[in-house]
Amino acid sequence: MTAATSAPVRHQPPHASRSVPLTAARLLRLELRRNPMPWILPLIAAAFWFDSYRPSTTQPPIWVLRTFWNMGQGHTIIDFGPFVAGVAAWAGSRDVRRGIADLVTVTARSRWAAQLASWAATAIWAVGGYLVFVAVMFGVYAHQGVQGSPPWWWVAVGAAAVTAFCAAGFAVGALFPSRFAAPLAAFGAFLVMAMSSRTGFSHTSGWALILPTNSNGNYQPPSGIFYPYLPDLPIARVMFLAGIAVAALGLIGLPAGAGGPWLRRTAAVVTLAGVVAAGTGVGLAGTARLGPHGMVIPALHDAASDRPIRYTPVCGQSAGVAVCLNPAYRQFLPDVTAALRPVLGEVAGLPGGPVRATQVAGAYSSGEGEVGAPMTISGRPPVLRMPLGSLNLPGAFGGSTAQFAQQLKLLSVHAFTGAGAGPGTPAQQAVQAALLQGAGVPFSAQNGVLSAVGLPSWASATLQPPASGHGAGPAEEDGPGPATGPVHAAARRLAALPPSARHAWLAAHLGALRSGQLTLAQLP
Amino acid sequence: MTAAGIHRPPPGAAEARPASRRALATLRLAWLYLVSRRAPAAAGLLAALGALLRAALHGNWSVAGGPAAQQVLPLVIETGAAAVIAVTTYGPFGDTERATGRWLPWLRLGTALLLTAVAAGALAAGATGGHLPGGSLALARNLAGMTGTGLLAAAALGGAFAWTGPMAYWLITESALTRSWTTPWTWPARPPHDLGAALCAYGVFAAGTAAVTLLGARHSSRRPAPE
Repeated sequence: MTAATSAPVRHQPPHASRSVPLTAARLLRLELRRNPMPWILPLIAAAFWFDSYRPSTTQPPIWVLRTFWNMGQGHTIIDFGPFVAGVAAWAGSRDVRRGIADLVTVTARSRWAAQLASWAATAIWAVGGYLVFVAVMFGVYAHQGVQGSPPWWWVAVGAAAVTAFCAAGFAVGALFPSRFAAPLAAFGAFLVMAMSSRTGFSHTSGWALILPTNSNGNYQPPSGIFYPYLPDLPIARVMFLAGIAVAALGLIGLPAGAGGPWLRRTAAVVTLAGVVAAGTGVGLAGTARLGPHGMVIPALHDAASDRPIRYTPVCGQSAGVAVCLNPAYRQFLPDVTAALRPVLGEVAGLPGGPVRATQVAGAYSSGEGEVGAPMTISGRPPVLRMPLGSLNLPGAFGGSTAQFAQQLKLLSVHAFTGAGAGPGTPAQQAVQAALLQGAGVPFSAQNGVLSAVGLPSWASATLQPPASGHGAGPAEEDGPGPATGPVHAAARRLAALPPSARHAWLAAHLGALRSGQLTLAQLP
Repeated sequence: MTAAGIHRPPPGAAEARPASRRALATLRLAWLYLVSRRAPAAAGLLAALGALLRAALHGNWSVAGGPAAQQVLPLVIETGAAAVIAVTTYGPFGDTERATGRWLPWLRLGTALLLTAVAAGALAAGATGGHLPGGSLALARNLAGMTGTGLLAAAALGGAFAWTGPMAYWLITESALTRSWTTPWTWPARPPHDLGAALCAYGVFAAGTAAVTLLGARHSSRRPAPE
């Protein structure tokens, strides 16, 4: 007698198919609990505060300027990457270091799968730490009333970079396990970042734009204020960095002990896919061209990114002329109106004198910062258009309020004389110098103002020795020097006139001056 | 069974053989200690870093920018050398090793000094014929100071993570170079003949060496008792 016929049939437990993800989740939880990355996060936090946050606080409260150093030039990545690579290498070499490589090779899970779980835990801690630190930094900025919009795409690039460093470091540890794996992975990451900075600073186009430390032509003041940050280049960078991460993780699965032939073939495909993705990112960056609002990659560009951000300007009065700025620049309105007051007072009532001054978006330049955006006077009635982002705003990169005011005066007077994008004729230069003197910039200080960094190229060209047969420039030598020469002699004569006489002379000769037909000899 | 066939050793031999044995044993102990710390591999890596410095200086790898930017790559390589020296303090034996005798502090001291000397020699050789900002004097000072941060990190965090000391210090130095700081504690940003910077750098090296000699690298979660 048996119970075989009466015994109920035992079915496969219904949750058997769920056991694989459950086991993977349990493995990941174990790895998260025993991971060394949390122990290094306080050190990274200190480095992050010191190197990424602290220097940014000296910049004006505008997102694109505050984050230029830590996001635009990738210092958050420099602070995270090497430490993350080192700790990931330590985690990757764990099994060999502990002498359990043979033991774990014969477990039910393939070696590669177990290593991926270990890497995933390391990456979760690292990327999570990165996002938390950036969130705290951005929260502090928001609390400080920083204007504009945050560079979210650059945050995504940073997270991708941390993931890539984590994967590369882990691969170093897994493939070359030793006590030196961690320091060498960290050193390699430092070297890569240093070389990336070296290449990034000197390359304004081509493949080098893929480097996350390269801010040339892709992180300038109009972004986040007048136009959205163009996501083209960040998307290519994410593709490149994710490709590196995938390729590094695929490499771990290639050795004989990583798994069976099927798994190793999969690892080879993964490695190849990563290399292709990284190569595609580099190729896309190579096609980038400088647009008015940043780097445009035709294959990735979305026309919606070119739409300007709507805003209601904030306005003030300066010598009876309305001066309007983007609300992000609200705190600079008193400085701007005060700086323009003497200039607008000088040209008030003259034909072609501006009846309004308004801030406009400057066009991107290929360098690190937005350089060379001149002020213009155009339209009917005439409007002075000011791309303020190109100037050294008070606090930005060491700029002072006085320097800011002097540069505003110079650019607005230059626009008034009709000199355009060049240094102007000697007569235009002389009138410019005389009006600047009247606006409170003495002759002796004018060459210094002209040589300031961040001005359009005509400013430094004004300081060059005069071309033959073209009169004399304001300075007889290259660079700031004494205000001498025929241009300044004429300027001094014009400046010496009573204001009413100077005004009358300008009213009579402004047309000829702007058309470039007036000579130095025709000045009073 | 008798002892008739046993020969007495000649007078004086009894003292000579233990003395030579003692010397051999000391050398063997030192060698075993060096091997246990992977010092030969470390020396090979330091030589490779010297070659890398040579390639950087002769291949014009310098970072674009002013004089401060020219220091970045040599400093990164010096940081790497300091990190390699620092992780040699890691030992897997823990209490077992600490209970073996009174020579351990001397072995630690000798290893740290020897590898620092090897690193200085390798990097100086690598810099020969190239333009190294600050010259060999600055190289020795910077390397000593950074090694000191690594050894201090070893005493505080353990040998395995000792490399974080020089790396973190490099980040501070980079800021100092960018912003033209003048404090002697950021010695790489100071001129090679600056006395304050030299005192700070060699002081940190002395502190790190003393910490590793007396305390050893931190093992596990417990700080080892002074030897």
